Amino acid sequence: MPKYAMVVDQRRCVACMACVVACKKENEVPPGQFRTRVVELVEGEFPRLRMELRSELCNHCDNPPCVYNCPTGASYKAADGMVLLKKHRCVGCKACVASCPYDARYINEEKGFADKCTFCSQRIAEGKQPACVATCIGKSRIFGDLDDPASAVSAALRDNHHEVLLASAGTKPRVFYIKKFGTPE
Amino acid sequence: MKFSRRTFLKASGAAGCSLAAYAALPEKFLLWAEEQGMLKASYVPTFCEICFWKCGAMAKVLNGRVVKLEGNPAHPGARGKLCARGNGGAGLLYDPNRLKTPLIRTGARGEQKYRKATWDEALDLIASKLKRIKAESGPESVALFTHGTPTDHFLPLLFAYGSPNVGMPSFAQCRGPRDVGLELTFGEGIGSPERVDLTRSKVLVLFGSHLGENMHNSQVQDFADALAAGSKLIVVDPRFSIAAGKAHSWLPIRPATDLALMLAWIHVIIKEQLYDKAYLDSYATGFAELAEAVSDCTPEWAAKETDLSAESIVETARLLGHNAPNVCIHPGRHATWYGDDVQRSRAIGILAALLGSWGREGGYFLATRSSLPKLEGKPFPEPVKAPLNLGNFPFAGAEGVTQEIRRATLTGEPYPIKGWIVTGTNLMKAMPNQKETVEAINKLDLLVVVDVMPTDTAMMADVILPECTYLERHDALAVGKGRSLSISLRQPALQPLYDSKPGWWIAKQIANRLDLGDYFPWQTLEEKIQAQCALWGVNYQELKKVGTITIPDSANPYITADAPAEFKTGSGKIELYSKELKEKGFDPVPRYTRHPGPRPGEFRLVYGRSPVHTFSRTANNPELHELYPENEVWINSGKAKELGVKNGEYVVLVNQDGVRSNRIKAKVTQRIRTDCVYVVHGFGAASKGLSRAFAKGADDQGMITRYAVDPICGSTGMHVNFVRVEKEGVHA
Amino acid sequence: MEITVTGANALVSPHLHVWDWRVSLYLFLGGLSAGLAVMTSVLHVRKGGALATGERAASTAGLLVPLILSVGMLFIFLDLERKLNVFWFYLTVQPLSPMSWGSWGLLVFYPVSVFYALAAFPAERRQQLRLPVLIRISERLSAYRLQLAAANFGMGIFIGVYTGVLLSSFVARPLWNSAILPVLFLTSALSAGAAFMIMIADQKKVKLFFTKVDIWLILAEMVLLPLFFYGQYTSSGAHRNSILPFFTLNHEYFWYGLGLLFLVVIFPIAVVLKFLEVREDHGDELTGQELMRMNLSAVMVLLGGLVIRLSFVYAGQLSRLS
Ligand SMILES: Nc1nc2c(c(=O)[nH]1)N[C@H]1C(S)=C(S)[C@@H](COP(=O)(O)OP(=O)(O)OC[C@H]3O[C@@H](n4cnc5c(=O)[nH]c(N)nc54)[C@H](O)[C@@H]3O)O[C@H]1N2
Ligand SMILES: Nc1nc2c(c(=O)[nH]1)N[C@H]1C(S)=C(S)[C@@H](COP(=O)(O)OP(=O)(O)OC[C@H]3O[C@@H](n4cnc5c(=O)[nH]c(N)nc54)[C@H](O)[C@@H]3O)O[C@H]1N2
Ligand code: SF4
Ligand code: SF4
Ligand code: SF4
Ligand code: SF4
Ligand code: SF4
Ligand SMILES: [Mo]
Repeated sequence: MPKYAMVVDQRRCVACMACVVACKKENEVPPGQFRTRVVELVEGEFPRLRMELRSELCNHCDNPPCVYNCPTGASYKAADGMVLLKKHRCVGCKACVASCPYDARYINEEKGFADKCTFCSQRIAEGKQPACVATCIGKSRIFGDLDDPASAVSAALRDNHHEVLLASAGTKPRVFYIKKFGTPE
Repeated sequence: MKFSRRTFLKASGAAGCSLAAYAALPEKFLLWAEEQGMLKASYVPTFCEICFWKCGAMAKVLNGRVVKLEGNPAHPGARGKLCARGNGGAGLLYDPNRLKTPLIRTGARGEQKYRKATWDEALDLIASKLKRIKAESGPESVALFTHGTPTDHFLPLLFAYGSPNVGMPSFAQCRGPRDVGLELTFGEGIGSPERVDLTRSKVLVLFGSHLGENMHNSQVQDFADALAAGSKLIVVDPRFSIAAGKAHSWLPIRPATDLALMLAWIHVIIKEQLYDKAYLDSYATGFAELAEAVSDCTPEWAAKETDLSAESIVETARLLGHNAPNVCIHPGRHATWYGDDVQRSRAIGILAALLGSWGREGGYFLATRSSLPKLEGKPFPEPVKAPLNLGNFPFAGAEGVTQEIRRATLTGEPYPIKGWIVTGTNLMKAMPNQKETVEAINKLDLLVVVDVMPTDTAMMADVILPECTYLERHDALAVGKGRSLSISLRQPALQPLYDSKPGWWIAKQIANRLDLGDYFPWQTLEEKIQAQCALWGVNYQELKKVGTITIPDSANPYITADAPAEFKTGSGKIELYSKELKEKGFDPVPRYTRHPGPRPGEFRLVYGRSPVHTFSRTANNPELHELYPENEVWINSGKAKELGVKNGEYVVLVNQDGVRSNRIKAKVTQRIRTDCVYVVHGFGAASKGLSRAFAKGADDQGMITRYAVDPICGSTGMHVNFVRVEKEGVHA
Repeated sequence: MEITVTGANALVSPHLHVWDWRVSLYLFLGGLSAGLAVMTSVLHVRKGGALATGERAASTAGLLVPLILSVGMLFIFLDLERKLNVFWFYLTVQPLSPMSWGSWGLLVFYPVSVFYALAAFPAERRQQLRLPVLIRISERLSAYRLQLAAANFGMGIFIGVYTGVLLSSFVARPLWNSAILPVLFLTSALSAGAAFMIMIADQKKVKLFFTKVDIWLILAEMVLLPLFFYGQYTSSGAHRNSILPFFTLNHEYFWYGLGLLFLVVIFPIAVVLKFLEVREDHGDELTGQELMRMNLSAVMVLLGGLVIRLSFVYAGQLSRLS
């Protein structure tokens, strides 16, 4: 069983938003709603400024509060590590939306069920890369199997210092961020 | 397998039935069926038209609907990826605001009143007017403004009709001065796609060129690869752009002073002998004159002009020198800034020459030497009158100087212009000084606009012809000249929606009505494409399947001992000193002149790109609109505080001539200098037919009432306007 | 720090707003029914049942519990985006989901409260039940009234706690993510139950008894509330920031400050009023004025409970971890 994960190499992101649009088209996300976003952070004072670009999506947490809080079992953690949804089970109670520390979820405005990034499981099943990864202009997003030492994600994590978002939340994310240059400490 | 007629009929019958059945099924069921694997989507290779990079794309079609677009891995400009805009291409296809039928004006010009017409009626009207103009004033009195793929159909129409007067904003409002400056230096331009060898460069310099926001697919891919490979990035920009955020050195230069910085770099590189002597000895001429001309362009002098520190100027110059020749100073693309843009481009060329980076790894690679034969057609008639689209500019390019046509229309000199055909360009947004454009249009006997959307320019037209979008038509084969030649096909992913028609059909129909049908001898464009493929030895069936075919190039992209460089300049060498310019009365070596700056209370208006929009053309695209629905004016936090303007608050821009903008949101930020404000170009549509874009944000072009014409090539510097920022509702 | 987000969902950005007054009302009414259930058990068990003798509420209170609960459940039902799927709550057990616990708990609470209401229904008034089946059940069950009282009491506490746990389990929402919250909600539920009991009881002794009970409960709330804020204040930055809406004099947060001010004023007043009520020399019958005062203080307590639910549901959604 593969162990899927994503690595976001922030150094390579150019805030082009290709991922945002591709994700919406691939997954028929309703107007005004998104499964992934790009955050631009700038700190400092002119002309001493520092910028961080970060694309965000569901972290497919290994310790997923959204799954724990789902009363119907609609949200679940699959064996390959993806946090997914059985839409037919969802009552739209929004507990999962409230419990995600990353604000990764939304309620599909057209259909009422909770939704979020699925790592494009339908594409993975076909042997393709997730839509956002496939179109990532900066090759900032990397997807693959953590258990496969030869995979791009394994290599990226091996060679670089990486972090997860809000580690203190204890959610054990499977989306890893490479912020800085350099190897693991 | 042999196809008997019977099996063919059976197969096509079955296909026909299943098609009919598909169409009858509700979409939700089909999506579900697809999820269950019962229905396979088909992928139609084509190429993108949301900007001019022409990336190869695969249209995913399900039940006759384009549900997604993906990059074609075989296409060198896409490499399997599309940018945000390319991904959102179907937003144009399914934009309910699209032009749906031919329209004929019923109200006064600009009143935006139209009635529906049939194609026959509209085309007959156009043909009769064109005939009359030809008879009364000669064919030269009709001009074509064009941009993008429609050019392939309408330029032949213009030439067949007998007029040489074409104007493309890609010259005088875009790349003109850059290409002219480089041609004067190296004998050729940098091309489009630009032949910048980013991935191998050790140092990369961007003047303005805000890569990332300026989104040309493969170029930005290379940019990210270069950064990942550790290339050092210097960004010269008054604004902390996305690229500046990635830079090792950000030089927040005072706008309009780039040439001073470049000359100082040249000065330091020469003084500290950081240049590539062997390269210059073999390939360049005019070094002594250059050294002499820049002798007093010291870093200290430049520091005062540019508002940068002399140390940072020296430091960056050394960084360039120490990494020569693997240095790429990006020559930019939208280079029409201040009216001395050819000279600025020359300075970049000279720097590149000193560093030996033209034709070298990490600098600029050489153009492929392969070429494709032309498909010969009936020769066009020789115009009787001299073209007026080049003005009096000795180095104006073949794409024409748009505003020269406009000027002639207004003044009737050197001869009157009576008709404009406008295809694929939104002139109201593309050309500076809208008042002049409107006045010129008001002098016309005929304005035809061929477009996909009811744009501001379309709303000035006498006849509007709805072209179908790029996803619904064939177009001429796109020949890409990158590291090798590539040939890409555009083919319909679906039949045209509404009563819209492909550009080639429109051009041919007009030609037929003007008895110029001989110039369009084929029945369908596909026929012509097939003929072209045959001529080029390309397997058309294969091309239909893969979308792009690349012709391998054996030539070396770099100058080497056994592949020495050729320069098509007068001297056959790189011209650090340009005799040609000298002869025409221009500075043979670029010389810095100070441009006027903002008066107290004013800001210089600069503009650029949003990564999710292309000029004005995507402002109404539902899929892109939602990401950036209206532009904002970037204003320095300190200045905003002085003005009492808060972040997110609506303000109004008032330019030096008293023109007021639409209301626009203030983006109060540390990311810009105090002497300029910045907006994304393309917003503030005036056409009511654009339900999303109408009156959203401010139109930068509306503020650009003045422009500085480059005397060398006629391009229009547009960064020369100044605005005050007023709170909404405050009237001066 | 300048932050630009492209692709944010309005539902979670700039802050969460998944739940509104419907959920607040659900939590309030759920709490009230739970509190009332507890108080009903107390009414019948206290003094070997002597407290309940001759008391009108001895028959009505128990029946009101499932009624109030139903109204509360109606509001949570209204909040569901896919109502037709509601049966899924009962086709699965999600051991880590408070909502799952809650839905199963409510499923148990219903019959327990109904059975208990019937079991505890005073024998002399059984005829008021009208339906012969009900009367028969009431007779049969009365043998188990003590056990059922315990179960009812237990379920009441469970549901009272649940309304708080539902919120406090969200690590993502620091304002809610406090162990004090369930206790606070429970106390407030019990206090509301007592207040409600005071209003529906017709006997002086019962009214005064529950007034005494309520004094303790309100006092407990008055300790828990500052303790809650103190706990948040001394916790992580996110927790500290989460209580800002209550303490910022900003028009954006006006309602939160007002809500807190309301609580700060209302609880002491209610306690004082109740204290006076208990201390006062009443005649055999409560005068109209005395009744008014009692009801007024009870309404204050109920309002306080509602304000807590409303302000916590909304303010919690303004809080975030990052
Ligand atoms: N997303 C997207 N990408 C596009 C396009 C699009 O429409 N949308 N259009 C394409 C086309 S045709 C073109 S021509 C290119 C244009 O893209 P560029 O060639 O990059 O355009 P510029 O006008 O050079 O760059 C704008 C930048 O220059 C900075 N600037 C303004 N004034 C000065 C100055 O005086 N000196 C310096 N050093 N910097 C200055 C601005 O702050 C801004 O960051 O973009 C291409 N890419
Ligand atoms: N103020 C200001 N002016 C500028 C610029 C700027 O940044 N600021 N940028 C300059 C530059 S670099 C350039 S390259 C030019 C670009 O100038 P334009 O090429 O005019 O740019 P757009 O505004 O995108 O207008 C394109 C038009 O083509 C239409 N169109 C799109 N697809 C099709 C199609 O398939 N068929 C037909 N028939 N029409 C189609 C669109 O609806 C739109 O009306 O503008 C220049 N002018
Ligand atoms: S990021 Fe949020 S939605 Fe995704 S698994 Fe983690 S908690 Fe659940
Ligand atoms: S909204 Fe749906 S997925 Fe989310 S917790 Fe409720 S039932 Fe589960
Ligand atoms: S993996 Fe798929 S669903 Fe998730 S953000 Fe990327 S494109 Fe969207
Ligand atoms: S596509 Fe890649 S480079 Fe572009 S914004 Fe998304 S993550 Fe960043
Ligand atoms: S760069 Fe983007 S918009 Fe331009 S052609 Fe390529 S995909 Fe289309
Ligand atoms: Mo351009």
